[in-house]
Amino acid sequence: MDEPNTLLTLESLSLAQGNRMVLEGIDGHFEAGTITALVGANGAGKSTLVQGIMGELRPVSGRVDCRVPNARRAWLPQQLALDLTFPMSVEELVMSGCWPTHGSFKRYGPTEYRRGQAVMQRLGLQAFEHRPLGELSGGQRQRALLGRTLMQEAQLLLLDEPFANVDAATVEVLIEVLQDMAAKGAAIIIVLHDHDQMTRLADRILHLERGHGTWSTPARVGGSPSTAETLA
Amino acid sequence: MIDWLFSPLIDFGFMRRALVAGLALSLVAPPLGVFLTLRGMSLVGDAMAHAVLPGVAVGFLLAGFSLPAMSFGGLIAGLLVAGLAGSVSRLTGHREDSAIASFYLISLAAGVMLISMRGSSVDLTHVLFGSILAVDSTALWLIVSVSSLTLIVLAAIFRILVVECLDPLFLRGQGIRGGAVHGLFLGLMVLNLTAGFQTLGTLMAVGLMMLPATAARFWSKRLEGLMGLAIAIGMISSVGGLLLSYHAGLPSGPCIILLAGIIYLFSALFGRYHSVFARWRRRVQPMLPPDAHG
Repeated sequence: MDEPNTLLTLESLSLAQGNRMVLEGIDGHFEAGTITALVGANGAGKSTLVQGIMGELRPVSGRVDCRVPNARRAWLPQQLALDLTFPMSVEELVMSGCWPTHGSFKRYGPTEYRRGQAVMQRLGLQAFEHRPLGELSGGQRQRALLGRTLMQEAQLLLLDEPFANVDAATVEVLIEVLQDMAAKGAAIIIVLHDHDQMTRLADRILHLERGHGTWSTPARVGGSPSTAETLA
Repeated sequence: MIDWLFSPLIDFGFMRRALVAGLALSLVAPPLGVFLTLRGMSLVGDAMAHAVLPGVAVGFLLAGFSLPAMSFGGLIAGLLVAGLAGSVSRLTGHREDSAIASFYLISLAAGVMLISMRGSSVDLTHVLFGSILAVDSTALWLIVSVSSLTLIVLAAIFRILVVECLDPLFLRGQGIRGGAVHGLFLGLMVLNLTAGFQTLGTLMAVGLMMLPATAARFWSKRLEGLMGLAIAIGMISSVGGLLLSYHAGLPSGPCIILLAGIIYLFSALFGRYHSVFARWRRRVQPMLPPDAHG
């Protein structure tokens, strides 16, 4: 039986890439206000699980039950997935987070632009608001992408290695914003490698290894990943 | 000078029709070209221009030099090639551009074969290279209608196209499948290529789409700037090429595309961004001494 504040449930979820089974029997509940770190070695299936949750991959068996509407699901890909030559400014990227409410046709009004300005100010982006994405540093670009997510008022947020190639100051800003989003009721799933960031940020950890998932808390995974306590 | 510019347009109806056709095509083809370059599909436009040929040939064989029949045939052939290439790409996992390249070559060969079997080399030349000076009222209505429709659809899907170009996953996350947007965009491209083949020919219609778009990238880093500049370059090329063709007694299609080509070369040499001159000018500046930062 799901808790009333559960936003996402995985039930015996098995996922494959082509003919190769990558994940088997993954279970889990993701509640509002929690931050879950998704960890595992390269090729363990972290990105596959994220794809499955986002509906990009059809489950081989089991199911993904997401109570968050599409419009409030946000996906922050690795920066390399973006076309950085695209002629778009920081402000335009942040404002595109209005998609759930404005779609393809509705014009952005003063209220949205004021919100956009507030988001950029919070992320320290105001000095770069008219700068093309291709001219930003990795950290500035990651702040802009998170700005789009804030505009989207996401309830379920998936982030794929958001701190990779990002400066320390940006890591601090991003951690603060993510903790604030969780405090306001968002469920956040974040692919992480850094143990220190995991300890600071995550409430729970889903460790993927050899196609199976093990749940634990940050303190326990730091001590002994292999004997991590199963919570789900 | 004024007489050189305006007298052909005042004196001759065919020049006025050619001018309107050129301007209408220049209003919509370059923005499509901008999106093609941004989506990394510059050569797909060229491939699709070849792909419409068998449809045009079938239209020609069934109804002679009837622009509506040839355009309709071209449209069907273009959409068929785009659809088949997309299907093969999805079913086999191969990249879509390689599937389009394969299908356009089959399509091109089929088109040339069809025209050769029933027409003459003059017919083939007309289809391949067009004749803007032979645009009649029916052709003009068709071109203007296609341009108007393209403008409306492009405005309607503009934001989706922009978001999809930058980050397709974001759009999919919102429950919108990029395939439909992509298909609609390819449809618009094929529609414009078929509208443009009467004036510029199937082989050169894509020139008015791509050259202004690629030239504009040397002058602007903003999407609105790229669109506006590409349209302006397309219009200058159309009007200039038309007048040059009239006064020098040269074929109009190549004049228009060559003029666009000259603008592209000038932009690549002297444009504001990433041109040869801009790269040469961007020398490394020495750092200021610490106390100069204030």
